[in-house]
Amino acid sequence: MHHVVLEQWSRGSSPVHRFDPRAKLVVLLAVLISVATAARGLPLFAGALFLLLITGLRFARVPVIRVLTRAAVILPFTAVFAAVSWLAGDPARAFSLTVKSYLSALAVLLLISTTPLPSLLRAIGITGAPPFLLEVAQFLYRYLFVISEEAQHMTKAAAARGASVRQWIAQVHRFRAAAGALAILFARSYIRAEDVQRAMLARGFQGSLPLLRVTKFRTSDTVFLILASLAPWALRAAAERALP
Amino acid sequence: MHIPDGFLSAPVWATLDVAAVPTVAYIARRAQRTFEEDKAPLLGVLGAFVFAAQMINFPVGPGTTGHLVGGALLAFSLGPAAATVVMTAILAIQALVFQDGGILALGANVLNMAVLGVLAAYIPYSIWSRTRWRKFSLFAGATLSVLVSAVLALSELFLSGVRMPSAVLGVSLALFAVSALLEGAITLAVVQALERIQPKAIRQPLSNRSLVLAMVSLAAILLASVGVLFAAAAPDGIERLGQQAGISSHVRTLFRTPFADYQAAFWQSAFLSKAAAGLAGVALIYAACLLLSRAVGRKRSI
Repeated sequence: MHHVVLEQWSRGSSPVHRFDPRAKLVVLLAVLISVATAARGLPLFAGALFLLLITGLRFARVPVIRVLTRAAVILPFTAVFAAVSWLAGDPARAFSLTVKSYLSALAVLLLISTTPLPSLLRAIGITGAPPFLLEVAQFLYRYLFVISEEAQHMTKAAAARGASVRQWIAQVHRFRAAAGALAILFARSYIRAEDVQRAMLARGFQGSLPLLRVTKFRTSDTVFLILASLAPWALRAAAERALP
Repeated sequence: MHIPDGFLSAPVWATLDVAAVPTVAYIARRAQRTFEEDKAPLLGVLGAFVFAAQMINFPVGPGTTGHLVGGALLAFSLGPAAATVVMTAILAIQALVFQDGGILALGANVLNMAVLGVLAAYIPYSIWSRTRWRKFSLFAGATLSVLVSAVLALSELFLSGVRMPSAVLGVSLALFAVSALLEGAITLAVVQALERIQPKAIRQPLSNRSLVLAMVSLAAILLASVGVLFAAAAPDGIERLGQQAGISSHVRTLFRTPFADYQAAFWQSAFLSKAAAGLAGVALIYAACLLLSRAVGRKRSI
């Protein structure tokens, strides 16, 4: 499954992987805001930022082409709105929607493929996000694959018995069958959830996951934070100068 | 409907992010207080269920399939506050790991789906679930939740300047209506199946003592979302109205003055002023979020 790939990338080792997650989070926000508010000289700025992000991916030693295609999952949705804007007589917006959403997705992917999600969520915690919410997100991510596999087993088992939702006949029965399957999945998830809950409480869980390793904010993190947050803005200023 | 980054204009996403942070902080605290122990593991696993539920396809006419969105089912089984927390966690994971929805647009998506979508599902349920209209309340709640989320997302796009021909708008509204009805049908069928195998899974609303309040807030949510859509889709009409009333120019200067097009005019260099205006904007948003969440927290703890 594709998320396993992402998990592999995020546990690699490279200079980009070693930067503090907090620093990377600030840099991501700087990049996203510079993209979101860009207007003049967008084509030039977008091209320059694209090259910068690819350089980042090379430094992070993740497969560049595969990351680029993964970021393209955004494009079908964007294409619809781009086409609609074009129809409404606004081709410039169609271009900006496509470019901005793709670059933003690429920037997020650069962060997530160099930072394991648990440490990223912990980094989000220092911004003042509710700890309860972040814990829910941690557990959600932990059990995402477990429950997804259970759902896959159920659909496979149903298909093996000849159930197909694409048939023309007996649609009402199939609808009811799918609802029953979902109810069973819910009940199973709920039972599992209570088991996990009890197991966590038995191990002394009191609402926060302990840190295994304290991350220190090093000088190199500070330098990276400043340089990498300013880089997109510098590119943007240069692009705006070149194309008045 | 997850809005990606780059679709919303800066004032829209910034405002919605500022609004979403204290709202979610308040609801998270409220959800935590309704449980006697820390239920983060339970809510997390149920969030994973909503992800997995999207793999089970439902037949919708010949050849096409649909799937559960899940906000309403969570609201019926966990209550609105916990459902909002789970939906927010889902949206965050979707934005970070699956590139489904943007990071800057997360505030917008959270307000549309996790806060107002869940609320729109829960209000009809809390009004009618104890009467013989219970089945209808389940269906209506799930339908409304998808409809409200979709209409809000659409109006935010309009406010950001995305234009679409009226024919396209009509078609997309029709599509939203169909998927909303589908969500209603799926949720109702799943709840009925679930009550047969695990009767306690769906919780009763605490009480419907504030029936009038619930009715009014439901009407307010509906009116606001539809009103914003029309206001955003036809800005000319609003502007004309404003000119007639003579408020339009005031409003405009009011909005323009602090960051006139993100350029602090007193700085010469375009780059410096842009960077400074951007950073000042972020600092302002952050400060506003922090102050609001502190204020909400203090009021609660007394």
